[in-house]
Amino acid sequence: MISLLGRTLVLAGLGACAVGAVAGFVGGARKDADALRITRFMANAFGALMIAATILMEVALVTHDFSVSYVAEVGSRATPLHITLVSLWSSLNGSILFWGCVLGGGTLAFTRHVRDHDPQHASYALGSLLSVGLFFAFLVAGVANPFAATEGVIPTDGPGPNPLLQNHLLMIIHPPSLYLGYVLMAVPYAMAAAALLAGRLEATWMRLLRRWMLFAWAFLSLGILLGGWWSYEVLGWGGYWAWDPVENASFMPWLTATAFLHSAMVMERQGQLKGWTLTLAMSTFLLTLLGTFMTRSGVFNSVHSFTQSSIGPVFLGFIALVLVASVLLLAARMDALTASDTATDEGVVSRESAFLLNNLLFVAFTFTVLLGTLFPLIKEALTEERISVGEPYFNRMSLPVCVGILFLMGVGPSLPWGNTTGARAWSRLRLPLRAAAVGAVIGAVLQAGPWAIATFAASAFALVVTVHELLEPAQARVTSLGESLPTAFLAYAARARQRVGGYIVHLGVIIVAVSIAASSTFKVQRDLPLTVGQEVSFEGYRLRFDGMRTDTEPHRTAQVATVTVLSDSGTLGVLEPKMNHYKQMREPIGTPAVRSGLKEDLYLSLVRVSADGTTASVRAMVEPLVAWLWLGGLVMFGGALFSLWPRGRAVVAASAAQVAPGDDGAARPAK
Amino acid sequence: MNWKVLGAGFLVVAPLVVVLASGFGRDPKALPNVMEGREAPSFSLTDLDGQPVRLAELRGKPVVLNFWASWCTPCAYEHPELLAAAQRWAPQGVAFYGVVYGDTEEAARGFLKRRGSAYPNLLDLDQRVAIDYGVAGVPETYVIDRQGRIARKFVGPVSAKALSDVLGSL
Repeated sequence: MISLLGRTLVLAGLGACAVGAVAGFVGGARKDADALRITRFMANAFGALMIAATILMEVALVTHDFSVSYVAEVGSRATPLHITLVSLWSSLNGSILFWGCVLGGGTLAFTRHVRDHDPQHASYALGSLLSVGLFFAFLVAGVANPFAATEGVIPTDGPGPNPLLQNHLLMIIHPPSLYLGYVLMAVPYAMAAAALLAGRLEATWMRLLRRWMLFAWAFLSLGILLGGWWSYEVLGWGGYWAWDPVENASFMPWLTATAFLHSAMVMERQGQLKGWTLTLAMSTFLLTLLGTFMTRSGVFNSVHSFTQSSIGPVFLGFIALVLVASVLLLAARMDALTASDTATDEGVVSRESAFLLNNLLFVAFTFTVLLGTLFPLIKEALTEERISVGEPYFNRMSLPVCVGILFLMGVGPSLPWGNTTGARAWSRLRLPLRAAAVGAVIGAVLQAGPWAIATFAASAFALVVTVHELLEPAQARVTSLGESLPTAFLAYAARARQRVGGYIVHLGVIIVAVSIAASSTFKVQRDLPLTVGQEVSFEGYRLRFDGMRTDTEPHRTAQVATVTVLSDSGTLGVLEPKMNHYKQMREPIGTPAVRSGLKEDLYLSLVRVSADGTTASVRAMVEPLVAWLWLGGLVMFGGALFSLWPRGRAVVAASAAQVAPGDDGAARPAK
Repeated sequence: MNWKVLGAGFLVVAPLVVVLASGFGRDPKALPNVMEGREAPSFSLTDLDGQPVRLAELRGKPVVLNFWASWCTPCAYEHPELLAAAQRWAPQGVAFYGVVYGDTEEAARGFLKRRGSAYPNLLDLDQRVAIDYGVAGVPETYVIDRQGRIARKFVGPVSAKALSDVLGSL
């Protein structure tokens, strides 16, 4: 019953997409209002149908309807409800349905947004978006149909979702956040395609495009961060990033999206770089497709890959088609757009130059990661040799770029738009450069390596500039209006959301950079053999092993080691690293125990337990400042949301009256 | 048409598609196996019906040797795949054998009764044969060619398709 209904919903969605896409392109080409009405209707229908299909699948999962093949694959009566709900994305076919659901939701929202926009742009954009939807609806309806009826006898119980997904609550929010980031990149793509197809790009369209990109970017950032956090809390190796192909796949679109958000500022401000900015918007979506392909095709080996599947070739065909169409579109229409580019006479020392350099670094970074990720495939295709490109390559290549980007984060905002003199630039950079020197000295005193020292220096440099940029306008209000500094800052921040949000994101990036540098440089790790009752000292802590116990749950049994953490001032707490044995896995999966603090984390993971439970081997690590990584990531996310938050009407009116020249244009009122 | 953009675009896009396409059919988890290409260790075991089976007597036939246990859940998953492969290949002269690993005779019989069987299952109660083959855990499946050499070793559940690909090339 659910199988049939689900299939029907998806097929109806497929039909809506097909009709809507054709109507969209026709409506765009003929500037036909009726065609646009049809497209909008079909877009809404597609969104509603995909969401309905997903809800239906959730119903099937929760009611353990094993006649639906996807439920038979990932469902189990022993699995707790919250895990059952999220097992929607624990396996291939369900995750593609979820993709479709997010795309459907995005399409609904976008259809509302384009109501007041240029009809031709709206038609083309909805047409392009529905073409993407068409492909995913096709996958859900055909190759990866989660609603297929279970073959043969309907089982009374199933194996349950992949144990790794059952291990931590972060698994509930990491995938949807990443999906929001990935899937919603389709909207900026469709908008860029619409601008190219129409041959013009207006400020209001560009503004909407940038806001969609920023929204998707915020969730992509959050998703990447939560993935790192999950890896740290669950996998037991004490790290959060391994340059795994699938991690890289999420990082590449993040890089191009970040580059886009910066070049879009140059474009909106100076009317330049239109073609380039749109190329970045389109590349970002293409890279998210590549990322989805990598996780879903079975071509790459990773913790994230689902098993070998047949959707690989179909997916590659789609990627190839979108790639070729995008290149042709850019080549055919870029000149029409850039004809209106205004040439200005900015000098070499200007904010534009800093942004250009920033874009070059981000794009170079993307290519570096892409090359490293694909290199094993290239090498094997050419020589039949199997190699892996590991962390050393990525770290060596990325460290200089990262330090360069951090440094530019300080240089860019201190330089004015247009032209300036070396002397003026120097006067603005003097204080930040002193801070950089202090950062370098601190690094050197702590005996950090050269790249860590460079990171601390660049971070201190960028920090001083960012704080200055955040506080200067507030300071101006303090002197002119006599407000207190916090009041002045809040009043200013409410008016200049985009600017303030951007700098808050920069603060988050600085926190993340320092945390990565510190936690990777000053990490201490040791394997400690423990006997019951015995106390071992490790990096200023004393660890007492109090024994083993076994916890039995319906879907797993866990061996739990109880370790009391003591310091000279008394007991700090109890840590319980575990080893989980799942019914369907050969190898046990560890769950480390972490004592998190602002200064450092104490991280214990259980490596071995003797048969009688009297001795155990625990891998202990101390990682400084690692908690700041998550905090910094949340600051980035918060900054992006702050920037996106719609402004109240009163504030808009007030700021429209007061927008000051030289206010970076960022405080321009919303339309 | 902006030819520079077109050229640059395809310069990036074309190799990307070629590289990704070349990745298909590649198993990212495959590792070079020391046993592959070597002569299969000989054995002499009895099956659950008490019939003796010697590898030496199977020379000239391809042999599929699947190590399994009743307590192993992945083995239960792959079982139908093995039955399907046996149904297809046994008539063409391929000998299929299961080897019961680290299990009791009774439990193994129960497993086969519940899930069906299509070929003899051998008892390796002291796990000597498993040690000779370097079995690290179950399930593991070995394909032995007509000359008695190990053509392929599968670690973990095997699919009927993967087995067919190897058997088809022998």
